[in-house]
Amino acid sequence: MKPVHQTANAVVQTKKPTIWLQMKKNYSAYLFLLPKLILFIAFIAIPVVWAFIISFQEYKIFGSEWAGLDNYIKVFKSDAFYDALGNTFLFTVVTVPFNVISALIIASLIHPLGKLSQSFFRGAFYLPTVTSMVIVAMVWRWMYNYDFGLFNYVLGWFGIEPLNWLGQSSSALWALIIMQCLIPFGVGIILYLASMGSISNTLYEAATIDGANSFQKWYRITLPLLKPSTLYLVLLSTIGSFQVFTQIIMMTGGGPGTATETLVHLIYKTGFRDFEFGFAAAQSVVLFFIILLFSIIQFRLLRYDD
Amino acid sequence: MKKWLSLFLISILVVGLLAACSKKENTTKDGGEDSEKEWTGTITVWDGPRWPDDKDNKFHWMESKIKEFEAAHEGVKVDLVQVPWAELPDKLGVSIAGQSWPDVAPVDISGSAVSIDHIEQGVIESVDDLFTEDELKDFYENALDAYTFDGKLYGVPNSLTVHAMLLNLDLFEERGVEPPANGEWTWDEFFAAAEKLTFDRDNDGKTDVYGFSTYILPGYYEAWPFFYINGGSPLNEDMSKFTFTEPEAVEAIQQLADLKLKHNVAPETLGGQDVGGTFQAWANEEQRTVAMQPWATWAISSAQTKYPTNFAVANYPTGKSGEPVTIGGVGGWTMFHQEDEGKKEMVGEFIKFISTTDEQFTMATEYGIFPARKSAADMDPYKDNPEMKRAQEMSSQVVMLPRHPEWKKIDEAIQTELQLVFNGEKTAEEAMKAAEKKVNELLGE
Repeated sequence: MKPVHQTANAVVQTKKPTIWLQMKKNYSAYLFLLPKLILFIAFIAIPVVWAFIISFQEYKIFGSEWAGLDNYIKVFKSDAFYDALGNTFLFTVVTVPFNVISALIIASLIHPLGKLSQSFFRGAFYLPTVTSMVIVAMVWRWMYNYDFGLFNYVLGWFGIEPLNWLGQSSSALWALIIMQCLIPFGVGIILYLASMGSISNTLYEAATIDGANSFQKWYRITLPLLKPSTLYLVLLSTIGSFQVFTQIIMMTGGGPGTATETLVHLIYKTGFRDFEFGFAAAQSVVLFFIILLFSIIQFRLLRYDD
Repeated sequence: MKKWLSLFLISILVVGLLAACSKKENTTKDGGEDSEKEWTGTITVWDGPRWPDDKDNKFHWMESKIKEFEAAHEGVKVDLVQVPWAELPDKLGVSIAGQSWPDVAPVDISGSAVSIDHIEQGVIESVDDLFTEDELKDFYENALDAYTFDGKLYGVPNSLTVHAMLLNLDLFEERGVEPPANGEWTWDEFFAAAEKLTFDRDNDGKTDVYGFSTYILPGYYEAWPFFYINGGSPLNEDMSKFTFTEPEAVEAIQQLADLKLKHNVAPETLGGQDVGGTFQAWANEEQRTVAMQPWATWAISSAQTKYPTNFAVANYPTGKSGEPVTIGGVGGWTMFHQEDEGKKEMVGEFIKFISTTDEQFTMATEYGIFPARKSAADMDPYKDNPEMKRAQEMSSQVVMLPRHPEWKKIDEAIQTELQLVFNGEKTAEEAMKAAEKKVNELLGE
């Protein structure tokens, strides 16, 4: 039996080095990270913290005044905020599942193809992602045009009266949702394809020996192993949907009435049209917590470590 | 050794980045030490595209003025920032928020780009000292009023605009409709014309041409004179109460919307939000699906040049009040906050330099706006342009929009409800009641 002091020494020796020790040891690596860190602090961290501070102020160009929780109270009393929240929520709950599921289906269909075909479809589906949303929105605005838009032209083939897609409250938000759903979720498709490629073939071979059919293999092997990618894509897509803006400003301006008003468009108007930066910052902070809440729920539902 | 080398290189990179982020020395503040000496430095001017020269350069007028000014003031450099008109309010808003405003910009103080709130916060400089009382007498009173707040002048007016009805005379001729004599007509005459001008040209059962159309969008007022024709107005005189709920306004709003909803003499897009699409439907040779539309005076110039159209200018029809009404605007140059007195004087000089009688005359003849100086108007810039001359006559019918600090929000509350009237989701009465709640809250703030 070893003496007690020897055991204690062993514990000390195997104890993990502290963060400072680690940083000291790898200081050159941290120095390489420093430029990026400075940029991150300057252009992301400081503005975020500043926005949080402004949310407690009545912002004035020459010297703001402390407003306490006034801006937050105003947010929660604002009908416009609830209208925008409702529209954004509907937009998100429809488009996120549709985009992620469609990306999964498309990736599953592309994956078994040959290399050349795979590359072609990868490029084709990723193309809209690299196209500016401004251009995409302009094209879709034309497609929804009442007089000579593509959609009303197609409806005409079936003898259906043209629709004022973006001009009616009942259809305007749905028109934007349809647009978002029909634009391929390029990032999702590429990520799913990459994840599918990394699943070991031996799993499929074992399933084949056990008599599993193609759907069973997809459902029992592919789908569970794609869970980390699904979580990432759901989060990414949810954040993107909550921040929908370009389509709104390009296609409807939030109208008719408040039918297509969304949170980020409302924040933009509050800040840069009404110059109420404190109120806009408070709206942004509330949006941040809404997204955070959704992210936590999604982590809980889709976590893959259990 | 390698570690030290990497450390050295990273340090250089970090220092470089920090230097790039650090505030650039403000060359505009290097005023001369000797107070007798003229200020030298850089003035930043924003302007939008105006009329093109033979190389299609729409900024040539401002560029030539800058050259002349720089030649006359040694050591003064004027930087021109070219900004599309549609982007100017947003870009200026961001710049004001970041305290990086230009020295001069072509904006009014009505609230579209800068507002009374900015004046109260000291973002806009008063230009009271620029002109003597005698010099100011050369400006139209309503033009000066538009830039006056609390008894001080906050900009130099250079143009007046009005909204007018533009009539496609080819379509009038095709349907055998007489345009209104002297451009004056009543609502009934206007409605009768709209009915006759709505027709199915190829007998396929679909209407090819509609009598009238316009759009409804916050910040745009082409449709609004129609809401005033029975004597209505959005706010009462002391701006304490919303008054578009009064019967005279409600009736006027509903009768305009009914052109589409009841009488089918306006297309489905009446009251939509597509500004460009609406204009194209009237002006574009390949469309011309609408016979009458109201526009600001820039459209007259456009219909004479880019979209050559056989057209006439008419008043908005009169309603129960019997008086023709239109909405006008005043454009001009605004000076932003200056730290340096010497520079402020020089910026003022520059604004004066581009606001002379001759410049306003040039602007009137070339750019399709009415001069804000009486002396420029006396030079008769429209002697060869009967359409502009007719529109200029409408200046006497102008009512100005309310000058309330919260006007942008009030405007949005009204216009978003108006959209719902024109797409048939609400009656004018319901919509204006809904707007009343929001507007009165804003008026009470």
